[in-house]
Formats: sequence, C-alpha cells, structure tokens
Amino acid sequence: MFILTKFSDLVQISPEDFSKHSIVAIEDNINAKYANKVVQKIGLCISLYDVLWTSEGLIGHGTGLVNVNVEFRMIVFRPFKGEVMLGRIRSSTPSGIHLRTDFFDDIFVPYEELPQGAEYNHSEQIWIWNFDEERLFYDNHEMVRFQVIDEEWHDQTPAGPTAAEDTPAKTPYKIKGSMAAEGLGVCLWWDGA
Amino acid sequence: MKVIEAQAAVLTNYEVLQHLSQQKNLYKLRKRRGPPNLETVVRELIQYLQSHPNPLSQKPSTYTPNCISQLLERLSPYELSKGEVVMILNLRPASVAALNTVIEEMAERFSDEQQEEMVNIILEVLGQFEASEPNANGNADDAADDVNAS
Repeated sequence: MFILTKFSDLVQISPEDFSKHSIVAIEDNINAKYANKVVQKIGLCISLYDVLWTSEGLIGHGTGLVNVNVEFRMIVFRPFKGEVMLGRIRSSTPSGIHLRTDFFDDIFVPYEELPQGAEYNHSEQIWIWNFDEERLFYDNHEMVRFQVIDEEWHDQTPAGPTAAEDTPAKTPYKIKGSMAAEGLGVCLWWDGA
Repeated sequence: MKVIEAQAAVLTNYEVLQHLSQQKNLYKLRKRRGPPNLETVVRELIQYLQSHPNPLSQKPSTYTPNCISQLLERLSPYELSKGEVVMILNLRPASVAALNTVIEEMAERFSDEQQEEMVNIILEVLGQFEASEPNANGNADDAADDVNAS
C-alpha cells in the first residue's frame, strides 16, 4: 500500500527559519510542499521518510533565501494493482459504490465489479447482494475489503485559456476497485462467523 | 522537483505506523508542530491504521519489529510473491477464505493442507484478534511472549 519514492528538489529556507536547525528547516519545507499532495504517476505523498543528501546552502542575489539541493525519500500511498485493502462505504449510486479511507477519498467500485446478484435499491439508495435467498446490504460507513484493479491520473496543472473555465476539476488520483471475488465486500460477512 | 526513483522500496503498514508514531513523539518532545498539511494527513492515516478490523488496531500490538523477517522466513517454502507477503502483513488473513483474496489462484497453487499451514503460520507470527474460540487464548499468550522476548 505504501512505497518509498526518492526525490531531489531545491529547498529554499527563508530568513525567518534561520533560528531553526538546518535539518529541521529542510524537513518542514519538504513536508509543507509534499505532505497530503498527489504527485502525478507517483501517488499521494504522506510524509518525509529520510534525507539522503544535501548540498551547501547558497544565497542568491536579491533575496535572503538560502538555497539547498536535497535528495530525500517520501512515504507515498500507492496501492499496486491487485492489492487488497480496507475501505469504508461513502455513498452508493446506480453506477456503483464510492469508498473512502480516512486519508484518501477517491475510490470507486463500478457496478460491473460487484458480485453476481447485486442490485441497486433506489428507495434506500444502497446496493444489496442477493446471495442464497439472503439479502446482504452494502450499508454506508460499513468497512469493506476491496481489490485495486485500476488507477486514473488527472494532471491538474492549468491548461491555459483554451480550456473552458467552468469544467469541474477532476481529482488528481482515483482508484478503481473491485468487490466481485470471494472474500471481498463487507468485512462482517466474512469475519463475523 | 525531480523523481530519482519512483519506487525505491515497499513499506508495510506496520513500518509506516512505526515511522509516523516516532515522528509524532519527536515533535512532542521538541514541543513543535509540523506543517498543517502534514499534521492532517498523519492524523488521518494513523486513525485509518488503528481502526478495526485493521490488525494494527489491536492493543497491545501483536506486531514486533522482527516479525516481518520471521514471517518471510516461515513462508519462504511457499514461494509467495512480494506483493502477497506485503498484503498478508497488512491484512493478517485469519482464515483460508480471507487468505484466498490475498493469494492469486490459491486453489491451483496450494493444496488444502498447505493453505491451512499458511493460515497457522500467520496466526503464530502475527497473532489474531481475541475471538470466542477456545484456542484464542493460547495464541494471544504466544504473541505476548514474542513481545517480551524482543
């Protein structure tokens, strides 16, 4: 579910941070820039893991900023294809079920990835799995097990004036999941014997 | 920003939780806070990792720093892929049915006895939730002994 990614970046330490130790200033700078942000084709950055190398601090003309080249490793959330993980049901629509984890909201299970016999109940707005005469409910906030089958990336860098301005921003990183296989779906069905 | 290596290593949930808790303690010790975006994601992630049925939600924790190498060693005869072992560590499948979601084409690759053996190894090394079954206590004691030994 988590990987380490090695980055190199230029860190600029502003004079008000000179009272901090250099390493603390560098850590804060990197975390402020990366934590809880999605890097395209890499994943959701969580936190700095370690600093591997830093250059000398250099002060350029005109500003008081100290420029440091840093190589470091970040903890990144990037489940691999086929990985099974836990999530919670956020909402259901006729097209599928939206899942979330506490820290990541964009997981979607389309209706064709639900097990055979699943049907959508319009009055209650939930999915129901008809299994051996039993009706099993995909209730909201229920903990589920799902398998990652695909991922979608949307670069959010502004496209310039040609793009229509009122198109809604797409989420930068979206996970497509499946709950069709045996053992997947609401955890209580399988664990609570 | 430049990506030097997109995937330098894979971390298990346990290792991530260890790192984040250490970082949190360090911040507390030095009486300072990280940037707000870091605080948010770390708080939410710890909450996720410690909510039931995630195995890390169990108190006291049945995971120890050397349980990863121990599990790798015990499971090596079955030639599981790295991804499969990572999932076992993260989800701690407690039954053959749960193991089936994690291991690809399990029925073809392993016999029924082998599947049972793997579930037992996982129980022994990683522990399990307190269940109403009579043998639950025995395993919980084993896990506690592991913690004391390390």
